[in-house]
Parts: sequence; structure tokens; C-alpha cells
Amino acid sequence: MNSIIITRAGTHSTIQDFGRFQYQHLGVSPSGAMDQRIITELQKIIPNHQNQFLEFAYVGPSIKVKEGSVKICIGGNCNMSIQKNNNSQLECQPYKSINLFEGDELIIHNTIDSVYGYIAFEHGLGLEPCLNSYSTDTKAGIGSINRTLNNEDIFHISKDVSSWDLISIPKPDLEKVTNFKVYPGPQLQYFSDNTLQSFISGVFTITNQSDRMGIRLKGESLISSKSHDILSEGILPGSIQVPSDGQPIVLMRDIPCTGGYPKIAILNEMDISRISQLPPETKITFDLQTIY
Amino acid sequence: MYFKGINSYGDRGLVLDFGNETSKSISQEVNETFLNISNLNLQSLNIIPSFNKIVVIFENSKIRDQNKDKISMKMKDTNSQTNKKVTKTWEIPACYNEDFALDIKIIQKLHQITKEEVINLHSSVRYYTYYIGFMPGFPYLGDVPSQLITPRLATPRVKIPARSIGIAKNHTCIYPKVSPGGWNIIGQIPFDIFDLQSSYPSLFLPGDEVKFYSVSLSEFQKIRKYNFSLNELIKEYSS
Repeated sequence: MNSIIITRAGTHSTIQDFGRFQYQHLGVSPSGAMDQRIITELQKIIPNHQNQFLEFAYVGPSIKVKEGSVKICIGGNCNMSIQKNNNSQLECQPYKSINLFEGDELIIHNTIDSVYGYIAFEHGLGLEPCLNSYSTDTKAGIGSINRTLNNEDIFHISKDVSSWDLISIPKPDLEKVTNFKVYPGPQLQYFSDNTLQSFISGVFTITNQSDRMGIRLKGESLISSKSHDILSEGILPGSIQVPSDGQPIVLMRDIPCTGGYPKIAILNEMDISRISQLPPETKITFDLQTIY
Repeated sequence: MYFKGINSYGDRGLVLDFGNETSKSISQEVNETFLNISNLNLQSLNIIPSFNKIVVIFENSKIRDQNKDKISMKMKDTNSQTNKKVTKTWEIPACYNEDFALDIKIIQKLHQITKEEVINLHSSVRYYTYYIGFMPGFPYLGDVPSQLITPRLATPRVKIPARSIGIAKNHTCIYPKVSPGGWNIIGQIPFDIFDLQSSYPSLFLPGDEVKFYSVSLSEFQKIRKYNFSLNELIKEYSS
């Protein structure tokens, strides 16, 4: 038996996969990794990841091997090191597999100029799926673990490391994007041409009131010419909704399943991952695609 | 037929539009269509019905475009629209005791009626389940009698107890678990309506009919102790 213990949980560490689907009509959000590009890359290095990825934001977790050994790989842009059992420090790189042995402690200090990072574990973390997914939605209390991770959480990994060989891939090109090409939202016509012009030409700032549910933006007020209150309808991640204060919110992975605010635009799937990595105070702009 | 057409929603989504009004007959068409589309076994990730829209999401735009034609054909093929859903009718015990009826006085004051009148009115109607949303398993039921129509609380409550019954505008609801919210709370039901251990976790489904009947605090506590599973609840309280 191999096991690991969380020695420092970090600020918002959860278990995620590619999302929980087929349940949104029962009020269950899709959830899933905020930056799905990274876990897609990690699959190449740890193919047997069992869809049990650890997601962290800003301050990462520290993880110690309690028994046996584990193979892991880290994705994202972060400061990290390994404290070996014999007290030596080991440098480590993302997108390169790492073998950790009993007593070794992986310390992820923080993400650099980004928000989310990930750890893939060979053979997963010994978890059972919840509604066919390992993803965590902390607000709804749904998941294999239905909360953020805590200090002292222990995971048992019954299978042993398959091979000590280390694999690496070139660091993926996850360049920072701050201009987003968006599609018209279902309530685009709720906004006048002048307001749409402000949306396209304006600069919006990501605020610190942003989380897995949504990214709140600050910028020129986008007041609807019709109403900010619509009959609730199904909503998708990436939708940009505008409540009555005129400050847009980009809905992210833990979306409420239906919403009653007009949606001016919607991001494409890749841009949901991209925008998730922009820290507060980042300035962004939008271009409206008319043909799609 | 209220169906107006199919629109795109971003690069991966579709919206089936049933107009801008809301009524039970529109919802019945929406929920029948929801079932028909679910039975097509499309490569969709989620199909989300609401009052007068159905949103369908796919993994990417290519799959979306391939499946759009299948939905269009189904919508034109009116002969097959006989796929009526086998919906359930529920008789749900409700305790309107003052410990649970946190906002019943607001409704009494607004409509100048007694507490007993609120209870009798609320439990007199067979409600229609418009859809499930807002949070896992949360049913939007309606319509409440006109003497009970009440706006949302001006300041939403930070913590509404689990299983609370609420009224907002012409709808009534049950909160499956503790949550912030703005509905006027008038009572509580004695069991959970959402169970993650079940592969089909929601007690209520769109289209179900729900009628409440008033129970005393001691009856409420008795039922509460049983800890019914979803399957037991279906046997006990639906037909």
C-alpha cells in the first residue's frame, strides 16, 4: 500500500476532472478543471491518472509520502521544490514525471503570474466517483470529496509505481491571452449599439471577487436597454452575464445551472481555460465575432 | 405548438426557443420536447429545460452542428411527439409550524389573511414542476393561488434551512439543502429530496405534480426519524 498526506492544504485545493455531465437538468453544475488545457497535457505524461487531478489556486499544497512511493506530475506555472527524506532539497519541473518515496515532501509554494496548477497521480488517489465524475463543486457539496482539501487528508494508492522511468514533454505553449473573441450571447439584443460598442472598445479589469463559479469584471457600465431581469434559463460556462449594476460576470465551471441575467456574449471553450489563469487586476478586452 | 426555432448559443450550444411567455402549457411542451430530445441519445453533454427554453450543450461546434439537424428533424416530425412522459403525482407532508414558517407573517400582512388561510391555500393546489434548477434538486413549482403571490425578500436570507418550503412571485419551492436565498419561507418537509448515492438523484422531475398536506410538528418529527431512501419515498408518497 502507498499513501500520501496533505501537510499544507493551500488556499483552494480540490479534486477535479474534465467535468460532470448529464445532470445539469437536475441542477448539478458541470464543474471540472478550470484550465482543461493543463490536465489534457498531463494525460500524456501520466496516462493512468484515473481522472483524479488535484487542482490548486495561488498558494499550492504540500504533500508528503507516508508509505511506499508514488509517481506524479505537476502542470502549470509554479514555484515548487521537493524536500527529500534525507533533508536534501531537490529542484523539480512541471510537465516532467517525478517519483516520490517515503518521507519525501512536495512543496508547491505558489503559482507564478497565473492562477491554477494541477497534479496528476499515477493510479489516481483511490477515490470513488460521485455522479460519474471526480470533480468537486464545493458550493453544492458534490464530489468524490465534496469540499476543499484539508491538512491531514490522507489518500491511499493501492497500486505500485509502474516504472521508475521519467517522462517529460516540452513545456506546452499556454501563452497569456488578454483579448478574447466572443460569440454573441442569447440576449445580445438586450443591449443598444452604443452599449455593444462600449463592450468591444472598453477595457475590463478582473477583480478579486472571482472564483470557480465566476470572474467578476470591472469596467464601463453595460446597462441593458430592455431589462436586467430575464426569465431563468439554462446557462453555459463562458457566458458573460450582466446584472443590473452593469458590471459583467464571466460564468466559469461551477456555474449555477440556470440564470436570470441577460447574457451579452459567450467565450469559446479554449478561452474559458485561458481566462481562468488571469490574476486579479489583469486588464482584458473583447472582440465580438459575428459569423459562427 | 409554442416552439419558435433553434438558435446557436456560442460555439457549442443550442437554444430551443418556445417564446417569451410562461405558462403550464408552454412548460408541458418544453418538458415533452426535453424527453423526446433526451431519447434521441445525442452526443450532448447536457440538456437543460427551463420555463420556455431548452439549452443543449455539446463538446465542440462540429458535434453541435451534426446534432442540430437531428433535433430539427425531430421537431418537424410531429407524429412522433406522442412520447408523453410518465410523470409522478406526489402527496408531500408539510409542517407549517412557526419554528419553520420564518416568513409566513410577511404573506399574511401583504394579503391580509390568517396563518390558517395561508396553509389552506398553499396545500389546496396541485402544483406543476416547471423545472429543476438553481441548486441540485431544487424544484420550481407553480402556480400558487393568487392570494399567496409574494415578491422575493428585499434582503435575501444568508442561510435557509434544508427542506424549507418557499414562495416567490407565483412559484413555490423546496430547498434541498442549506442555502442562501430570497424566497419567503413558510414551512418545512420532513425528508431530503436529493440523494447523491442514487444514480438518479432528484426526487422530483420536470413535469411531476406535487400537492402538499399539512402535518403537525409531532407527525413531522416521526417521519423525519424514518430516514427514507429515495426509492422508499417514491413508494410512500407518489402515485
